Amino acid sequence: MKNTLLSLNEATRTVNSGSNKVTLLDNINLNVEEGEFISLMGPSGSGKSTLLNCIGMLDNFTDGGYTFLGEPVHSMKEKNRSKLYKEYIGFVFQAYHLIDELTVYENIETPLLYKNVKSSERKAMVADMLDRFNIVGKKDLFPVQLSGGQQQLVGIARALIGQPKLILADEPTGNLNSKQSEEIMELFAQLNKEGVTIIQATHSESNAAYGSRIINLLDGKIV
Amino acid sequence: MIRSYIKIAWRSLKTNRLFSIVNILGLSIGLATTLVLFLFILHERSFDSMYANKDKIYRVLLNTTEDDLETWTGSPSAVALELEANIPDIAEAGRLLKHDFGGTAFIKAGNEVFTEKKLFWSDAAILDMFDVEIVKGEGSEVLNTPNTVLLSESAAKRYFGNENPIGKTLTIDDVDVVEVKGVFKDFPENSSLDFNVVAPFLMQNAAKNPTWDNASFETFLLFNTASPNVANVEAKIQDILDKNVKKDEQWYNFSLQPLEQIHLYSSTYKDSYIERNGDINQIRNLTALAILILVIACINYMNLITARSQKRATDVGINKTLGASVRDIVVRFYIETGLITAIAMVLGGVLAVVALPMFNDIAGKELDISSLFSIEIIVFLVLIWFVTSLISGSYPALYLSRFSPKEALKPSANKGGIASVIRKGLVVVQFSASVVLIIGVIVIHQQLEYIQNKSLGYNPENVMAISTSAIRGGQANQALINAFKKLPNVSVVGRSQGYPGMGVSGRSINKPNTDETMGISTNNSEREVADVLQLKLLAGQLLPKNKQAGDTLVEVVVNKTTVDFLGLSPEEAIGKKVAMQLGNNAYIHGVVEDFNFASLHNPIGAYAFHNSSREPKSYLLIRFTNEVLSETISNFENTFKNIAPNSAFEYTFLDKNLELLYEKEQRTANVGLLFSILAVIVACMGLFGLAAFMAEQRHKEIGIRKVFGASVPRIVQLLSIDFMRLVLISLAISFPLAFYVMNQWLQDFAYRITISWTVFAIAGALALVITFVTVGYQAVRAAVANPIKSLRTE
Repeated sequence: MKNTLLSLNEATRTVNSGSNKVTLLDNINLNVEEGEFISLMGPSGSGKSTLLNCIGMLDNFTDGGYTFLGEPVHSMKEKNRSKLYKEYIGFVFQAYHLIDELTVYENIETPLLYKNVKSSERKAMVADMLDRFNIVGKKDLFPVQLSGGQQQLVGIARALIGQPKLILADEPTGNLNSKQSEEIMELFAQLNKEGVTIIQATHSESNAAYGSRIINLLDGKIV
Repeated sequence: MIRSYIKIAWRSLKTNRLFSIVNILGLSIGLATTLVLFLFILHERSFDSMYANKDKIYRVLLNTTEDDLETWTGSPSAVALELEANIPDIAEAGRLLKHDFGGTAFIKAGNEVFTEKKLFWSDAAILDMFDVEIVKGEGSEVLNTPNTVLLSESAAKRYFGNENPIGKTLTIDDVDVVEVKGVFKDFPENSSLDFNVVAPFLMQNAAKNPTWDNASFETFLLFNTASPNVANVEAKIQDILDKNVKKDEQWYNFSLQPLEQIHLYSSTYKDSYIERNGDINQIRNLTALAILILVIACINYMNLITARSQKRATDVGINKTLGASVRDIVVRFYIETGLITAIAMVLGGVLAVVALPMFNDIAGKELDISSLFSIEIIVFLVLIWFVTSLISGSYPALYLSRFSPKEALKPSANKGGIASVIRKGLVVVQFSASVVLIIGVIVIHQQLEYIQNKSLGYNPENVMAISTSAIRGGQANQALINAFKKLPNVSVVGRSQGYPGMGVSGRSINKPNTDETMGISTNNSEREVADVLQLKLLAGQLLPKNKQAGDTLVEVVVNKTTVDFLGLSPEEAIGKKVAMQLGNNAYIHGVVEDFNFASLHNPIGAYAFHNSSREPKSYLLIRFTNEVLSETISNFENTFKNIAPNSAFEYTFLDKNLELLYEKEQRTANVGLLFSILAVIVACMGLFGLAAFMAEQRHKEIGIRKVFGASVPRIVQLLSIDFMRLVLISLAISFPLAFYVMNQWLQDFAYRITISWTVFAIAGALALVITFVTVGYQAVRAAVANPIKSLRTE
């Protein structure tokens, strides 16, 4: 029996644009079990990114309920919420968002610094991660010295270093060519097999196919 | 964690070279200026702090209570004696007189004659209270016996080389023969008092017959306790004054000035023998300027950080999603700023060391590099480092750290809203300050030019004044005049007590049948002096050629201001008797046109040439025709030495001497110029960096515009116009401000320029040109770039 990781109950997100109220997410009901690999699909503007941001607690639903590991996120204080996502969620971005001034090694290490992990422990964890992703030889390079695919690899390594339960990936292959895309998706599939829950937003049918479940969004609604 | 921040900051510095150079250089210039100035202020404030009795020593000030209310540093010779005898709080009192009331002495040692500018006649008490250290021979007690003298170490060396000076004799001005009894250590460089030669005050007439009249003696008091009750003592002094001088004859009262205030708070007091005076206003102005430059440099930093806020905000967003708290981000930005300021600090220190000699030169100071390494300076540096980091780092630390990660990571988000308003505001502040400084420098320069070229009512060019105070006797002086008259390039020669540009005797003149009085400068001189100065005679005649010794009749040639005061026309005034403290037998013999005998700070007052022999005629004034100066001088020196082998040849040119009157202003102008140039450079550096980032930020827009047919000039215009607009706003702010400030400054001059619109035109044009050149370079670079490059997204 699998545990429920998170559940959304009539979750809604609206914004005010001038005098109009625009609904970005409209009464979303969704249960995510641990170990799932979900692909969010839909055209531009359908609400994929907003949903990811809200699940990742970088943004809030304006209405409805959101429970994460049994805790009611919707009624939490900002501080506790950020504690929660620090602990359990890793992010992967379309534009990689690596820190330009840090090497591959240091980029991967950063989340551990914010978690106040001890130096020796950090070293071991980063070394493991470099090893696992086969990028030991590149650990002293800076982001600009890497190809897009390699940068995204580092991005994923960085998201994984904190041992999150959930990885949120917003168009992770959007800036990559097809071969690089394939490698990244293979990696996600592999991670999922190892037990990490993944939610990705994607345009690509073939990428979505790696997932265990596809959710289609249109105009903020699940269809 | 902190190591990681420093790493990020350091690498970010290396990647963004232009940004880093602009910032660090700007800041270090600001810091170097502040450092040099702090050093200067420390030095000025350290004056007289080395004396053990510093809190017990006070100087008696004399405040005149008639016409102009002035404060004099000299007191009558009876004051010290009466105060010491009648006020128990006072342990000791001493009087000080500079030789010849502020003149130069000619000292003969062996067969050589030296000029000595620091010969003082002093009571023993002065040396005691200032704990003057004796290194050889006897101490202050020798000043209780006449015909003795004490020398400073350097004076002893100058007069006697390596020989033992004790027991040797000196002849002062060919009159007083004194024996060297002791040698004292040279006064420190930051002491207000500075003696080379000290002779007993009791040899002076004033000591033999103490009076309440002639206020020419600086009087110092040593109290029994530190910080005595000044008001109380001043009241007692008033009582003593009342006992000795009748109420209706009192033209002054007394106040006390603590030693620690003598250096900085005496610049408006008259006739001190202390030459090392500072000025608290100068210190205040320089402090303001230094802070201004530092602020401009800090503004650069903030501007450049906000200009890059797009990148910064993204960084903040990434770090927040990775788990950074607001506190982490705040700490990170302060560390980054702290690192930059620390580097700027080191560089600023180096710049300060390099620039110190230049500053010394311009400001006329002798600051020592080694004092840069004192505890005060180090504490000051740490403090400045802290404050600068706090000011400069606050904007990014406090503003950017508030972004939520979602907003921060959104590529299209407009994060420049508030930032760009602040940035524009800061640029306006910077430029306003720079323009005020530019206008200030131009106005100061114009005023000095005006003063130096103003018609003075006499001709100071080609006039030499030779000091003849060591030549005694009418015969020797007549021989000297005759010898000079024979020289081919000499046109007129005359003897005189003083010359324009130097103080002469101050008296007062009374308007007949009224009790109105006016101060008048009187100059005992010969008839020829009016011709040497090329004065214009309005009525009557110049002073008569010959006057019998012992004749009590005094003839006076006054200026126009004097007869105006008397209510007479020049013609009416001739032959009238005048009451001007020159005896009961003084008559106006002639009237000359007004001329500027003092500095142009003051309006022309009353002036009189007279032939009462109350004061010595210590100068020989010579008008010469030759322009070849070095030849003229050696020719004159030979002539002088032939007649007066025992006197040193001391001379000045009247026009050169006049320049000294405006030395303070000249220094202000130079220091102002230096600071203004620095401020403008720092502001330009900021603008340059800002323009670079603006161009970078808008490179996409530029690309699109070019694709749709915009020409290079149009793009340059587009990028420059914003900055031009800011500069125009700055001009609107700075013009009235500069006008007000500079008008205040001009009030110090009785003769001054009016600030013309051209000054503003020049400053405005300069600011616009500087902006255009600075911004234009970046604009052109952006405009000629290939649009394909800027439009490629990945």
